[in-house]
Amino acid sequence: MRNKLIQKIMYSCLLLVMVVGMVGCSTPTAAPTEAVVAPTTEAAAPTKEAAAPTKEVAAPVEDVKKFDGVELTLASMTDQYVSAFRYLIPLFEEETGIKVVMDELGYVDLYQKLTADFVGKTAQYDLMTVDIVWSGEYATNGYTLPLNDFMARDAAVTNEADIMPVAWTLGEYEGKQWAYPLAGYANVLNYRKDLFEAAGITPPTTQEELLAAVKQLTVGDQYGIALLGAKGSAVAQDYMSFLQQHGGSVLDESGKVALVTPKNIETLEFFGELFKYAPPGSTDYWWDQRETAFRNGTVAMMEGWSIARAGYENPEMSSIVGKVDVTAAPVSAGMEPKYGFGGWGIGINASSDPQKQEAAWEFIKWITSVDIQKEWVKHDGAPIRRSTLEDPELVAMYPWFPLMLNSFENGDGDYRPRIPTYSIIENALGTYVNAFLVGQETAESALTKAQEQVVANTK
Amino acid sequence: MNQALGKSINRVLQSKSYVVLLLPLLIFVTLIAIYPLFFSLRISLFDYRLTDPNQTQTFVGIQNYLRAFKDPVIFISLKNTLIFVLGTVVSELILGLGLALLFAPETRIARFVRSFLLIPMALPPLVVGLVWKSLYNADFGVIPYYLKALGINVGRGPLGELNFAMPAVILIDIWQWTPLIMVILLAGLKSLPNEPYEAAYVDGASRWQSFIYITLPLLKPTFLIAFLTRTIQSFKVFDTIYATTSGGPGQATTVLNFHIYTVGMTFFDMGYAAALANILLIVVAVISIIYIMVMSRQQY
Repeated sequence: MRNKLIQKIMYSCLLLVMVVGMVGCSTPTAAPTEAVVAPTTEAAAPTKEAAAPTKEVAAPVEDVKKFDGVELTLASMTDQYVSAFRYLIPLFEEETGIKVVMDELGYVDLYQKLTADFVGKTAQYDLMTVDIVWSGEYATNGYTLPLNDFMARDAAVTNEADIMPVAWTLGEYEGKQWAYPLAGYANVLNYRKDLFEAAGITPPTTQEELLAAVKQLTVGDQYGIALLGAKGSAVAQDYMSFLQQHGGSVLDESGKVALVTPKNIETLEFFGELFKYAPPGSTDYWWDQRETAFRNGTVAMMEGWSIARAGYENPEMSSIVGKVDVTAAPVSAGMEPKYGFGGWGIGINASSDPQKQEAAWEFIKWITSVDIQKEWVKHDGAPIRRSTLEDPELVAMYPWFPLMLNSFENGDGDYRPRIPTYSIIENALGTYVNAFLVGQETAESALTKAQEQVVANTK
Repeated sequence: MNQALGKSINRVLQSKSYVVLLLPLLIFVTLIAIYPLFFSLRISLFDYRLTDPNQTQTFVGIQNYLRAFKDPVIFISLKNTLIFVLGTVVSELILGLGLALLFAPETRIARFVRSFLLIPMALPPLVVGLVWKSLYNADFGVIPYYLKALGINVGRGPLGELNFAMPAVILIDIWQWTPLIMVILLAGLKSLPNEPYEAAYVDGASRWQSFIYITLPLLKPTFLIAFLTRTIQSFKVFDTIYATTSGGPGQATTVLNFHIYTVGMTFFDMGYAAALANILLIVVAVISIIYIMVMSRQQY
């Protein structure tokens, strides 16, 4: 009798366990492990021979000894500069005895893994590449170490005056540096020289001319422009980029999120107008598809980060070699020229132990030093220093550097607000701008709903 | 002393051996399933943001659950989830039954084809999603290429059009999981007794009649398993959606689990995400219980 009862209890327990086991996996912590999509995934680098960097940059020998045997882990975004890391890390290890293990992660994955690491204070990563837009969030939560003490101490060797002023936005928040500038990108307009010549027009210098050129160059299977339309970060960032070029902003003067303004609505309608002259699948484009559309010759123009420029001359991944030129991203007529600036800083985990933090600062100092920056850029890194952008050898290699220098000088690192709630704004815009593009919402209702979602998720 | 201890342990082992045998499993299950479940129940009653530097947890009672009823995305995602579940489970059961009957005979071709049909099931849904995403791509994809060759206007591509995104995602799921149904039903078919068929043959029943009146009723328990497994899995769909549409265009393919993921992993609003996850748990549990009851009543 009792045994029967126990048996019954056991069976019901098992049943409960089975149901829970089958269903329980639906808790949201189950994040996918693969790096699914990464902005500018074309990590395949054009192979270039380069001389080994000069070795006398590192700190004096006795300084270096104390790091012998220290092992650092670096979480890097799989952007093009990852190949520069791959090339330079062994040289750094040889020079200092500090071992650096790099983990390459896609954009979404990197953000989530780092957040988990910071929140749990597990210090799995000592060094991490920090997207410009994460600065505010990292600063407010104290995830990364403020670098100002290190910077003040080593000001004699870092040559900070040489770093472009706009590059400091890669990690700056409320007066402190939460990540050190690593790779600066300028928003530029890539265009097909041959198509413009054939049509007898010059590259657009204003947004209005851009729209006209886009219309004119859309003929048959040839489309005017490639844009990011996919739901999520892609469409949100592209919209914010055009917003910057039209003089709009997602924040009001007091710094509050204000998406529903006449300017923002008008720009969204302009953005939608551009999509009529983009390949039909554009509302589904993430960074890599946009690149493909430009590289295989489907479109005549593409706005994008300057770091992708070198890839267009590589016949292995581009069918438009020699047909591309680049110009400043056009702004609205009558506007003071301001160019979208973005890119990556490199930060130190606030939870790592002090010796590792010291070693990590050593790495940052080394990789951003004047001489190593040259090697960094030669191996597909992106510049942050004036000396790199003006280096004659590099300018010969990359003729678009003077243009980038100009874009950096008039760069705006804040068109995507570097505030703690950025990811919430991006998510809301990512959903509703996409909904507008596919005809589910009007421009006004899309921005209104996005605003409502931001308000609901920020307290 | 030692002997006495050994004896008493022996006695326990002999009289309550099932406890000892169950213990490892119970500990495992407690750690893996029960503890997280209770943890999620607990934090669903708190306002708890992962990104809060002080990690404060404020007790808010059932506020998180009430908030779910005011969340406009919940209704959209619940509707989408139901469409997805209905679309996938019904077509997979029909197709799976068809395939199982087709490949039940032990011919060489059947064995050969059967093993090939298992491949989609073995692939990670994320990879499947990415492959289909490129197949569906309006400008470079294979599927729109042939559709265009046939003179069909594909517009923004299957995943980009509001009306086609959901069917396109459902098709991926059907492609991947129909073989599972086929395997389960095949096992059921193989275990059916021969006698009823012989008796029916003697009584002059047609093949169609013996299928309707013998095969289908006898397969019912197997159907229950297949149905239940797929329904629950379909409710939890995430990877395929994440890899193909991210719930887009707009909200057209935002299913409940994807919304929970956004709340949890983008807004890091753990309390609310846990509350939503528990709502999903309840929905699925209720459906499971209803089906178990209905199917077991019909059986006897």
